[in-house]
Amino acid sequence: MSEQAIVGTNAPRVDVRDKVTGQAQYAADVRLPGMLYGKVVRCWEHAHARVKRLDLSAAAASPGVVRVLGPKDVTPKRYNSSVLDLMVSESMHDMLGDIDDQPIFTEHVKFQGDAICGIIARSEEAAERAAAKVVVEYEPLPVYLTAEAAKAPGAVQFTPEKPGNRAFQLPEAMFPNNALGGGDVEAAMREADIVVEDAFYVPKQKQCQMEPHAYVAKVDSGGRLTCWTSSQMPKLVQRKLAKLFDLPMNLVKIVPTVIGGGFGTRLGMISEPQACAMALAVPGHPVKLQTLREEDWVISPSRHPGKYWMRIGFKRDGSPLACDARFENYKGGYYLDASGTAFTAGAWLGGMYRFPALRYRGESYFTNQGLTGAYRGYGNPQTNFVLEQLIDRACAGLGADPVEWRKKWHKGVGDDGWCPGVTYPSCALDECLDRGAAAIGWTEKRRKYARQTGTLRRGVGVAVMNHTSGAMPMLLEHTACTVKLNEDATAEILFACSDMGQGSHTALKQIAAETLGFPFEHVQLSGGTSDVAGFDIGAHASRTIYVGGAAVKKACEEVRRQLCERASLQLGVPAEQLDIRDKRIFVQADPARGIDAEAITRAGVYHFVDPATGEPGGVPGQIQGYVSFFAPHNSPPFGASFAEVEVDTETGEVRVLELVNAHDIGRAINPAAVEGQLEGGIQQGLGFVLSEEICYDADGRVQNNSFTDYKMFGPEDMPKITTILVEDADPIGPFGAKSVGESGLVSPVGAVANAIFHAIGIQFTEAPITPEKVLKGIRETGVRDYGSIGGGR
Amino acid sequence: MKNRDITLHINGEEYRLNVAVNRTLLDVLRDELGMTETKYGCGTGECGACTVLVEDKAVNSCLTLAATMDGKRITTVAGLADFGRLDHIQQAFVDEAAIQCGYCTPGMVMKTASLLAQNPDPSEAEIRHALEGNICRCTGYEKIVKAVRKAAETMPGRAAAVEPCKEVVQ
Amino acid sequence: MSSRILPDFDLLLPQSIPDAVELLSAHRDRITVMAGGTDVMVAMKFAQSPAQLPDYVMSLENVPGLAYVLFDPERGLRIGAKATVADLLAQSEVKRHYRALWHAAQTFATGQVRNTATVLGNLLRASPAGDCSCAIYAIGGVVVLHGTSGRREVDIDDFWLSYGVTARRPDELAVELILPLPAAGSRSAFKRMTRTSEDLAKLNVAVRLEMSGNTCVDARLAMGCVAPTPLRLTRTEALLKGRELTAEVLQRVAASVPWEISPIDDKRSTAEYRKQVSGVLLKRAIQEACGAA
Ligand SMILES: Cc1cc2nc3c(=O)[nH]c(=O)nc-3n(C[C@H](O)[C@H](O)[C@H](O)COP(=O)(O)OP(=O)(O)OC[C@H]3O[C@@H](n4cnc5c(N)ncnc54)[C@H](O)[C@@H]3O)c2cc1C
Ligand code: FES
Ligand code: FES
Repeated sequence: MSEQAIVGTNAPRVDVRDKVTGQAQYAADVRLPGMLYGKVVRCWEHAHARVKRLDLSAAAASPGVVRVLGPKDVTPKRYNSSVLDLMVSESMHDMLGDIDDQPIFTEHVKFQGDAICGIIARSEEAAERAAAKVVVEYEPLPVYLTAEAAKAPGAVQFTPEKPGNRAFQLPEAMFPNNALGGGDVEAAMREADIVVEDAFYVPKQKQCQMEPHAYVAKVDSGGRLTCWTSSQMPKLVQRKLAKLFDLPMNLVKIVPTVIGGGFGTRLGMISEPQACAMALAVPGHPVKLQTLREEDWVISPSRHPGKYWMRIGFKRDGSPLACDARFENYKGGYYLDASGTAFTAGAWLGGMYRFPALRYRGESYFTNQGLTGAYRGYGNPQTNFVLEQLIDRACAGLGADPVEWRKKWHKGVGDDGWCPGVTYPSCALDECLDRGAAAIGWTEKRRKYARQTGTLRRGVGVAVMNHTSGAMPMLLEHTACTVKLNEDATAEILFACSDMGQGSHTALKQIAAETLGFPFEHVQLSGGTSDVAGFDIGAHASRTIYVGGAAVKKACEEVRRQLCERASLQLGVPAEQLDIRDKRIFVQADPARGIDAEAITRAGVYHFVDPATGEPGGVPGQIQGYVSFFAPHNSPPFGASFAEVEVDTETGEVRVLELVNAHDIGRAINPAAVEGQLEGGIQQGLGFVLSEEICYDADGRVQNNSFTDYKMFGPEDMPKITTILVEDADPIGPFGAKSVGESGLVSPVGAVANAIFHAIGIQFTEAPITPEKVLKGIRETGVRDYGSIGGGR
Repeated sequence: MKNRDITLHINGEEYRLNVAVNRTLLDVLRDELGMTETKYGCGTGECGACTVLVEDKAVNSCLTLAATMDGKRITTVAGLADFGRLDHIQQAFVDEAAIQCGYCTPGMVMKTASLLAQNPDPSEAEIRHALEGNICRCTGYEKIVKAVRKAAETMPGRAAAVEPCKEVVQ
Repeated sequence: MSSRILPDFDLLLPQSIPDAVELLSAHRDRITVMAGGTDVMVAMKFAQSPAQLPDYVMSLENVPGLAYVLFDPERGLRIGAKATVADLLAQSEVKRHYRALWHAAQTFATGQVRNTATVLGNLLRASPAGDCSCAIYAIGGVVVLHGTSGRREVDIDDFWLSYGVTARRPDELAVELILPLPAAGSRSAFKRMTRTSEDLAKLNVAVRLEMSGNTCVDARLAMGCVAPTPLRLTRTEALLKGRELTAEVLQRVAASVPWEISPIDDKRSTAEYRKQVSGVLLKRAIQEACGAA
């Protein structure tokens, strides 16, 4: 196949005109005739309590109210709003146990914001007014905010299924001694000349997607439930809702709306169950359920916080011997995907360096904090904060250059990736490190800043990361795709995986156009509603281009094959010797000989017998390609970040001056979109390491569920950004592409922490590294020249 | 007076409305007039998703009572394009790939319109300062800043050579 | 009720100052004045109990003639009750003569909020974190109030009584703020610390110094977020007056600040940290004022 070079260009995004004119329809923009408004009444007073009495009478009598729904007015079935249970095999299910622990409306409040009852009214305001009239009496229960508190003997049990409130630990059956890794860690540590060890705390970060969650649900006269939602996983939500409400899947229809940012928060469901329960109570009437920002904040899952301990042993020559780690994360009140991050944090650890011995233990404990679940990076920023700081601590002790050490010891082609047995097919991390170092002026600045005087101290730091391209082999990796050709040889593609704003649908269209040999403008791609689109597990695990793109490519190849076969009959040349470009099928050896694709597609659809000859014209049948695709492999991306910071030693304030993100993404299908992912990732990574954390008071009530109190980096806070796309085509990914959706935020975390270390000679074990912590550190140990620390250069 | 008769001039059209006095301009635009191009993101004046122009100034419609806007000229992002033809700001956002999920975009574009009306040739520092009231969680602001700069450069009627801006606002 | 929906109230739209005063005296503590509304709207959306909610909101929207920022080289600066922070920034004399206020206005909130928030609203909110309040405290001035018993002026030094409470009587409308003309050799500066650029201050400070050469003849120092109201650092001022601003004096001045303040832990910072950096921030503001002569 000859390249038309659509792949690799900044093809204009398919959705931007709608977005820039305000015509794009997000869920909250959906307006239907006769629409009613739902409101979920939540427990704001307590993070842990039992409902002693619920009186809905005053609310029911409030003006404009149509229905009030308590726990007894909806299905008693429980659900799990996450979707990991649909992505693992039966045997894994048995290992996880019963993880359907969420009721639609609860009588046991497990976190602040838990749903108590629902109101349906003629306006949103009427619903809110009625909500204020609901009378609930609570019996407060002890509040557990940390794993230590939740696992203490005598603590109230969140579910009988999980004794000791341990939601998850790596199961013995898959991970002997409940640990991921291999080799004899204890023996290896005894051989070590240098051991670095510390206990860290990683913060609870909020996705802060700009569109608050909103839904419309409706039951039509045929009993079919339709739900408009911006879930990242429409097909899995269809299945989940069908199961929860005991409906066959054909009676549940999901209409995906434009997604105003996801970053993991839309993985699975959030309030779809409540919205649909309301719609089922008023058949025929659409119900809109729009969350408030302050509500979205407490009900949607956030990044897993917790304690992260790690110990690494080295030989004096710098070779790593063993790594021993334990991540104990604080879940919220429900299970969701408790198995996920507890595992992946260790997986990224295992995938990074060539440790001869590794033992990682990951556990999740129920707490009365707000829910935790997927957030871009999925355990990786946590590991980066810990691992990359300890590596730099060791480098300082060993007198090793952090870039050189990483180049020597990172895993690469042929090594096991994050899952044993799935090896890295490509790795351009060395090039990332070299180009990133050159861009930031590493050698010169490392030397210059090693000895400084004055109030403002500068430092440069590096960190690396590996991530994933899809979730194979841990989770189901399945995507269906249909490509149909219209009679004028234009292509229409149906592909259920959502575009959350990354531009994935644009890039997929580029892949399709390139594969078909059609112009970009003659390809249409739509997600489709659940009743027309085929199966897809959804947009997560940075899979859309690597897996989805491969599916689209394969379906397009099928169409191409059919086109060439029909052309071959007319041209008298074997199909393998044909090529397509600009919708013209031609003989490779003799490009002048060919036939327009349109002649074939038209004849296929408008198939008549020529009255003069009695012969049919061309081959009958509309051309369609269909694939039900399972990813055969996983080609993780790598990245290196370099940060330059300036620390004000009198105030502890840290200013990030520059951030270089060099990423090995295999191949950029749409470079501008790839840059956009990396640049946006930096903003979130800087937040994780420097400014963002959800805080709770002692009673488990959130302290900062607004943009007033939770601070993200704004345009003035952002440093100078340099994005370097290292393109070394992966042998497996479509057109050589690997993933880029999550990875951009990971290594800025370690790079900034290490730059601070370089500037003032102090490491911080708790993120975010606020001025308050920096100043405390300076007051405790004093500013130290990096050059004076254990032989560092 | 719990309801009030007002006239709003929105995107060049006149609307006579009777609004409850406790309704925000954002609510009236979205719920009563169905102009959903203006977004709710926080309701507290922090995110800028609800930014509209009142006369020529960018304001947070979530913090504005519709009832106090009688007689005012209001522009939303839907008022910029000329029947399908994007204006120079919108075009710059498209060209610079400054749009990802797009939820912040209407507010960003309106903020840009008000900035350029006051300062047709903003420096990068001035652009960043001006955008502090608009949160974008997708882009890291990099391409948005470039888009605003491009919008300034492509402003219709812009003098061939505008003096580069000297004063940098911190 | 929530970030999207406001509680019930009646809207009053007086057409003149006397109208407004009449409404105020009629409804007293059941009425809230709304200028730009950037504080009032948020407070109403998140009121914890009906007791915190007004029955009436009186918008100044239709009261004419209050949106001025006027500089008179003889008498000083007059800021009308409807003048926004953006209006202040648009008046070039502010930057020249009232550097601290200009800088406070410049870093204040967001462009959208600056377009609606009034300078007087900032004073009347009586928040210890108010940026314009802090700068104005250091500069000095009087708030002009109109009530049923006529017009009166309250010195800014006597204006804030406790958290959220001012010397304004329930029947009074704040009409304008008058800042004195700066004396020759007068200079001022404002500094604040925030978590990210756009944020309420965790600490802010403003200084006004009357200098004669390198000697400080008079000083007014104000600090925010360290007490229930903006705070004058009078004891620290005394350390400056009549002194040459040597490194040693500055060191002593910085060391004195923590003894004068009583900050608390809150969402934006800790009491401990505020104490630790208060002197540094003040010292830097003094240095900036002197550098920016
Ligand atoms: C997103 C955001 C960011 C912000 N950032 C900052 C910041 O950086 N720094 C800062 O200091 N503040 C900040 N604020 C707070 C607020 O903007 C200021 O306090 C503003 O100056 C208030 O002015 P206003 O006109 O909006 O007041 P309003 O909300 O109208 O009123 C404020 C108070 O003053 C009273 N009042 C107003 N005018 C009069 C009058 N003429 N007579 C009698 N009483 C009156 C009101 O009754 C009310 O109690 C921020 C607010 C928001 C929403
Ligand atoms: S919705 Fe108005 S600023 Fe966020
Ligand atoms: S593009 Fe998504 S918030 Fe800006």
